[in-house]
Amino acid sequence: MKRLQKNITILLAATALASTAAVSHAAELRMSWWGGDSRHKATQEALKVCGEKHGHTIKPEFTGWSGHLEKVTTQIAGGTEADIMQINWPWLPLFSFTGDGFANLYDYKDIIELDNWTPEQLSAGEMNGKLNGLPVSTTGRVYMFNKTTFEKAGLDVPTTWAEVIAAAPVFKEKLGEDYYPFDASTLNAVMLVSNIATQKTGKDLIDPETMTVAWSADELADAIGFYQTLVDQGVIQSWKAGAAEGNMALHENPKWSRGQLAGSYEWDSTYFKYSDPLEEGNELVPVGILKVDGAQTEGVYRKASMTFAISRNSDNPQAAAQILNCLLNEPEGIAAMATARGLPASRAASEQLIEAGAIKPILKQANDIIMASTGPAVSPFNEHPDVRTVFLDALEMFAYGQIDAETAAQEIVDGVNDALEDYKS
Amino acid sequence: MGGDNKYLGYIYIAPYVAGLLIFTAFPFIASFYLSFTDYDLLSTPKWVGLENYQKLFTRDRTFERSLSVTLIYVFMTVPIKLAFALLIAVILNYRLKAINLFRTAYYVPSILGGSIAIAVLWRYIFAESGLVNMLLGVFGIEPINWFGDPQNALFTITLLRCWQFGSAMVIFLAALQSVDKSLYEAAAIDGASQWQIFRHITLPLITPVIFFNLIMQTVQAFQEFNGPYIITEGGPLKSTYLLPLYIYDKAFKSFDMGYASAIAWVLFVIIMVLTLVAFWSSKKWVYYAGDKRS
Repeated sequence: MKRLQKNITILLAATALASTAAVSHAAELRMSWWGGDSRHKATQEALKVCGEKHGHTIKPEFTGWSGHLEKVTTQIAGGTEADIMQINWPWLPLFSFTGDGFANLYDYKDIIELDNWTPEQLSAGEMNGKLNGLPVSTTGRVYMFNKTTFEKAGLDVPTTWAEVIAAAPVFKEKLGEDYYPFDASTLNAVMLVSNIATQKTGKDLIDPETMTVAWSADELADAIGFYQTLVDQGVIQSWKAGAAEGNMALHENPKWSRGQLAGSYEWDSTYFKYSDPLEEGNELVPVGILKVDGAQTEGVYRKASMTFAISRNSDNPQAAAQILNCLLNEPEGIAAMATARGLPASRAASEQLIEAGAIKPILKQANDIIMASTGPAVSPFNEHPDVRTVFLDALEMFAYGQIDAETAAQEIVDGVNDALEDYKS
Repeated sequence: MGGDNKYLGYIYIAPYVAGLLIFTAFPFIASFYLSFTDYDLLSTPKWVGLENYQKLFTRDRTFERSLSVTLIYVFMTVPIKLAFALLIAVILNYRLKAINLFRTAYYVPSILGGSIAIAVLWRYIFAESGLVNMLLGVFGIEPINWFGDPQNALFTITLLRCWQFGSAMVIFLAALQSVDKSLYEAAAIDGASQWQIFRHITLPLITPVIFFNLIMQTVQAFQEFNGPYIITEGGPLKSTYLLPLYIYDKAFKSFDMGYASAIAWVLFVIIMVLTLVAFWSSKKWVYYAGDKRS
């Protein structure tokens, strides 16, 4: 045992020395990210540990999610961005459509242990063949239900849409008119409609070859019709009723905390964000992707949740690469970061955290659903701000009865195609 | 000032002038130039002439909607706020017990009003399960969908702005206190009623301050951002989507800084024209000390 410990110590020291050899001087770096308190604390601790290990100092710059894109945009426009940045996966084409917006991490493959990612994972961080962002974790949308509310209604947690729809009248009868088995307003309504259309067509919204909408207007109108069915049957509250709380996130909504809204379609990595606010005794459970009749696929919306990128303007890109490697692949960084950004994509990090029992089973269960589900590759342009705005605006107009499903679908198809026009090669 | 100190004055004003040039004049001129370009913040601006303006006025339905919402908001907010500020100022001008406490209490919302926290508080107060609907429920009134109904949402945002009447009120109060008391005494001796005194003495004498508040509040209302951004994010159906929100979205979400600059300049021109109209009309209704008009 002692020999094993000694060997591990020598190995760790050698690894550290080998990577330090490439960067002999102490560098002053900056790292920016968005997140909540737990992520801020974990990342600051990890930066401290990795900085001490490699002899660099790293100044943290962190904010909440809201406004972070704007902050990063302004910094990049002014050339004052941090050396290491947490970049949302859909932002890669915004900042680096040609692959030159960030440092090419393949240039630092001697420092960063890239064999901890699969080729598929690395390709998700590539722009134009250049590795612009290292996937930190893989995430996806998963259906979650408040098991306790369903039990109060005398029902099991649903596993099909038919069961969810059938639950609505039971909820009204046994729990009250203001109880709904599911919730899908604003962005979640868009995600739900997208999921249904993807299931029916077997295609993502955007065809990456032609950079146009892959669904026909009729197919999309059909998915929008399904959303309306859910409203009509009392499965979800109407858009207007949901907006009565103002611009309030679901997890802040008292109706969610009380279990009146008993289901949602959320990122697996945000499980605790939604389970924590629930009133005591309520249990939130993730279920397999709900499928509609005639589905060709589960249409899972799976993607790199976020990436770490190095600034192309960094004075110390090698030192930044060292720190990045430490955060994602080295035992000290992994232990400090833990699951602050969901289940790590890096194999080394995943193995270490599973062995240490640091990954909560429910989080693993939600992530397993995502990883096991089928669906076409998701284009990052699904989350392009203009694409989102077009989709959201048309769906909102439909939900308020301003336009019919066919018109909404046509507006989305035309608007998204317009938004993608600039990105056609 | 002479000798070694002849540049002292310039040194004193240098920080302000430097700030003005860097943070106001330069962005002002730069945004004018950018409004004629296609600029995504990350690459070099490309000159497109009047294209942004043409698109704004011919093909952009969102701009049309946002502009009309902004105008409604301004024309609703400013008169209500000024009237309310004046009413409270008149009340607080009386010698009441603990008057200073009341004056402070009424001014507090203005200190807090622009903050994010108050916008969040407003959201909770007018939410479906919020305080206002709870109070309405006491009187047997059905809950009102303040934010979800496009007919109500703008009004709710307007109330937040009107609630921040404190700064205008303080200025009105100062003006009311500067009115010569002998005029009131003379009017009272002549048998004028309180309303006649207010209408024919107070109001004309404070018109310069009304004019000042009108201009300031109009300019500020056109630039409102925090309230609608936090409370409704411009919705529903863009019913609270004021122009500053549209500018922000275009600049920092759509990366279309050229187009955003064009919208900002249209907004600037609108504010300027309305201000000029106010100045022009002021000759007819604003009275200054020593003014010979009858």
